[in-house]
Amino acid sequence: MRNGTTLLLLAAIAVAGVAYLTLGDAGPAPAAAPALTSVSDAPSAMVIFPVGEKPNPEGVGMKPVAFNHLVHENRIESCESCHHTGDTVACTTCHTVEGRAEGKFVTLAQAMHSPNIARQMQENTPQSCVGCHTRQLQQQECAGCHNVVKPARPETYCNTCHKVNGLTKADMVAGIAGSLPDDRNAELAADTLKARENPTQLQPTDGPYKVMIDEIADHYKASMYAHRRHVASLMERIEDNSLASAFHNQPTTLCSTCHHNSPLKGAPPKCGSCHPQRINPANPERPQLKAAYHLLCMGCHKGMNVARPLNTSCVTCHKHSEARLADSAAATLGGE
Amino acid sequence: MNRRKFLTILGSAGAASALGTAGAAKAAGGTHTWPYYENSYGVLHDTTRCIGCRRCEEGCNKANGLPRPDKPFDDLSALDERRRMTPTAWTVVNKYELDDKPVFRKLQCFHCNDPACASACFAKCFQKQPDGSVTYDGSQCVGCRYCMVACPFYVPSFEYNDAWDPLVQKCTFCEPRLKEGKLPGCVDACPMDALTFGRRSDLIKVARARIKANPGKYADYIYGEWDAGGTAWMVLAPSASAVADEKHPLAETGHEFKALGLDTHLGNRPMGELTAGALGAVPMIVAFWPVLFGGAYAISKRRDALHKAETEAVIKEARDDMANAMDAAVRKIAETQGPGVADTARQAMAEVLKTREEACANCGHHGEDK
Amino acid sequence: MAHGILIPAKDKLFNLGEFFTFTKGNILTAFILAGGLIITLVRFTQGIGSVANLSDVQPWGMWIGFDLLCGVALAAGGYFTTVACYVMGMKHFHSAVRPAVTTAFLGYAFVVVALLYDLGHWWRLPYMFFFPGTTSVLFEVGLCVATYLTVLFVEFSVAPCEWLAEKFPFLLKWRALVNRTTIILTIFGVTLSTLHQSSLGSLFLIAPGKLHPLWYSPFIPMFFFVSSMAAGGSMVIFEGMFAHKSVHHYMDATHLKEADEVVFSFSKAVSFILFAYFMIKLTDLLVQANTPYLCSGYGVLWLVEVLGFILLPAFLYAKGARERNLKICRFAAAATVLGIVLNRFNVCMIAYNYALPSAERYFPSIWEIWISCFVVTMIVTAYRFIVYHMPVLYEHPNFKDAH
Repeated sequence: MRNGTTLLLLAAIAVAGVAYLTLGDAGPAPAAAPALTSVSDAPSAMVIFPVGEKPNPEGVGMKPVAFNHLVHENRIESCESCHHTGDTVACTTCHTVEGRAEGKFVTLAQAMHSPNIARQMQENTPQSCVGCHTRQLQQQECAGCHNVVKPARPETYCNTCHKVNGLTKADMVAGIAGSLPDDRNAELAADTLKARENPTQLQPTDGPYKVMIDEIADHYKASMYAHRRHVASLMERIEDNSLASAFHNQPTTLCSTCHHNSPLKGAPPKCGSCHPQRINPANPERPQLKAAYHLLCMGCHKGMNVARPLNTSCVTCHKHSEARLADSAAATLGGE
Repeated sequence: MNRRKFLTILGSAGAASALGTAGAAKAAGGTHTWPYYENSYGVLHDTTRCIGCRRCEEGCNKANGLPRPDKPFDDLSALDERRRMTPTAWTVVNKYELDDKPVFRKLQCFHCNDPACASACFAKCFQKQPDGSVTYDGSQCVGCRYCMVACPFYVPSFEYNDAWDPLVQKCTFCEPRLKEGKLPGCVDACPMDALTFGRRSDLIKVARARIKANPGKYADYIYGEWDAGGTAWMVLAPSASAVADEKHPLAETGHEFKALGLDTHLGNRPMGELTAGALGAVPMIVAFWPVLFGGAYAISKRRDALHKAETEAVIKEARDDMANAMDAAVRKIAETQGPGVADTARQAMAEVLKTREEACANCGHHGEDK
Repeated sequence: MAHGILIPAKDKLFNLGEFFTFTKGNILTAFILAGGLIITLVRFTQGIGSVANLSDVQPWGMWIGFDLLCGVALAAGGYFTTVACYVMGMKHFHSAVRPAVTTAFLGYAFVVVALLYDLGHWWRLPYMFFFPGTTSVLFEVGLCVATYLTVLFVEFSVAPCEWLAEKFPFLLKWRALVNRTTIILTIFGVTLSTLHQSSLGSLFLIAPGKLHPLWYSPFIPMFFFVSSMAAGGSMVIFEGMFAHKSVHHYMDATHLKEADEVVFSFSKAVSFILFAYFMIKLTDLLVQANTPYLCSGYGVLWLVEVLGFILLPAFLYAKGARERNLKICRFAAAATVLGIVLNRFNVCMIAYNYALPSAERYFPSIWEIWISCFVVTMIVTAYRFIVYHMPVLYEHPNFKDAH
């Protein structure tokens, strides 16, 4: 009994120590995120309206974007990354919906979305929102998913940015005319950004623990896919990534790489529902099932620089079947 | 055989030759079938997907019942050396380096739209099929290996060690399997869809879509869309930074494909067209040369005839002169010394003249060509 | 004849004694022929790979590069001489026609023989007439060579007819027929020669990526044709040099008298042709902007070929013809012949596959070279047989009407 007590005590101390360490690790984590303090006198957030020069009494136009200036200004090297002329004026000063001479007739939509702006020899090369964000996707923790599959992008995809909470028609008309008061603008922006914080995400435990992939087991035995471990690992890596948390705004966003092109629900269809066992020559862009699996797994591992297993090491994921073994034995014999 | 019959045969041989070559000119330089075979199949080889597992080699080997190689297919050390197709391995995967990363490319027949081998074969062994494959029928192969010279991709290989039935061997696009509605062996075996099978026209769209959807991932070019007049098998390469070193101060465009061992200077016309001009000149020469040389012959003949006539005229004149002089001399002798002496003199002169003429005829004969 | 040429008579048709004397030449001939026969046996029972270094990247080697390309080019003396004599009316070349036609016929006949070594299915050679691949340059070459070989055979057949006429008098009819159609045969021959001589160059038009740019040219058919004229003229002089040395005693007075004049006239002609050839090679270099390549190893090779074996012999020929110096002309002829061989080797082997790593490049095996020597030896032996038996270097006393 005495021994038992000691053991219990020791165990209690160990648990306490681990708990302390864990809590101690977890505790300072939010503090470790960069403190967002402004280095300029720019407003910390703003709504960018589709400013146009044509009279627009009905306020018809693309939904405006609430832009977190503070986050961006702390992430880039210099203001000139975006304010490419050196003047820290609003984008819509030169780039309006129709385009103006000052902005070399580059429209607002182009200025914000051009994925790949040609390098300028004489001056700063401008960059658009989309262009810069696309480049960010090359980060190791993003590249896995983002290099593999382009998920379906329905209209709601635009709403990720083009959405302002509490926007009235009057605000819109004034915003388009460029006459919305700064404090109203700031208020709208702050409301919208606040609503965006901490979107709910499905958790690893919401999915299965392991998935048996056996639909096409033939030369190899079925492969056991550690679903939960993979999801957990992915989520862990982007936990502190503010870009990811800003844009992974649906509960199922993270699922949508592998479970792409299907309605984003908790229980997605099987891969084989769309991917045939043999490629269909009439529809050659859709990979056959075997390739679909391999492209996803290997593409993601490659993007995230996961060294193991080797692409060509088949038996790491699925063991040889008897048929295959017999086959290669014959091959060895034949070779000799 | 009489002369007429001989000439008829000779003439018909010439006509046959002219007709044959005229046909050649038409096939080589005339109108093309465009857009080749509209619904032909092809394969898109996406080297960014290829992992170098050699499954395609195995699939090919099995589908075509080729002898098993010494090194089993799961021995990837085979990739350490640069290999090429052999009579018993119609496709091989090679490893290349691009930006210090390994890139794998599968080598096989490209199944050109307008194949150089078919244009070069003088026994019509190669055929571009409507399904896109370029097939080879060894039953009429003479074994001249001009197809191997012609192929810009160094594809055909030859059974040099077979004495009795040495044939050219190359990828068949698994044409028999296509007919059964199956995929080519290699495509079937590819675990990554690095080989995408489909209609060639669709594959070009697929390739473009992939390039567009993945900015910066691919070199912006579909190798085989136009190269060598277009090929059924096409290649996508990963984009890579153009390395400018001492040897290549200005790194060329298309260096990615060059690094994968692909010839980027084939041009966009079928290789067979390169010989079309030369073949097209054949009927012209057949028509023109005989006239030209016949004319030259006629001129030289005429020159000889004129020369002969001229010589004859000169000789005749000289002879007449001589005869006149003789007559005058003989008359003079007759007047002064009497007719008896004149007769003797005439005879003597005639004899001298005759011997001289004979000698002259000989020298004249030799001098005629000068 | 006055200086005692041994003319086979009706009761003694054969004169094989020359072959069975123990001279150096005969022993060497026997050695090469014996070795060649063994290699032939190996080649035809074990396959091409057993004797040749050919590979999948180098499908054409010594047997095509030398036996076919050089063989055909060097047999151009036939059309060159017949055209000069019959078409251009230079009758004083007449005694050169028969030796030239004989060597041309032998050259072409043995080109076909050598080709059989190189063809995988040699017995299917006639298939090209049954399944004519009319888009192929090779088809055109094959058709022309086959036809021209027939023409050459007809032209040459006069000599064996005269040899055997006493025993088989019906041959006289054939001989008369051939003599009447000489001019047609000649023109037919030159047309066919133009076609296939140039087409041998056209063969390589289809492989622009494989042949070095200094040799690859859209004008390569023209290069081949023009150089074949030079080769034809030079070969007549070159062969004459050897013939004078070894079968001098089979030449009659006319032949001997005309021989030197033939050399000088041909020298003059070939000098012009070589200058023209040099000019088109140079122009090709300039218009294709190939001058930067001259700084490479291949550039040096090209310069050696063009300056050393085209321009130099052109000058030498001009000098030799002007000074009536037989030695210089013969030297120039040898240089030209070597130059043609070098050119054909460059196109077919040395500058072919220039971009490949040296480990994959081709070098002929000793057996391939031996077979090439074997073929040349067979030609020489056949030529000797013909010269010993038929009125080639002399006029047959029974047929003084030949002119």
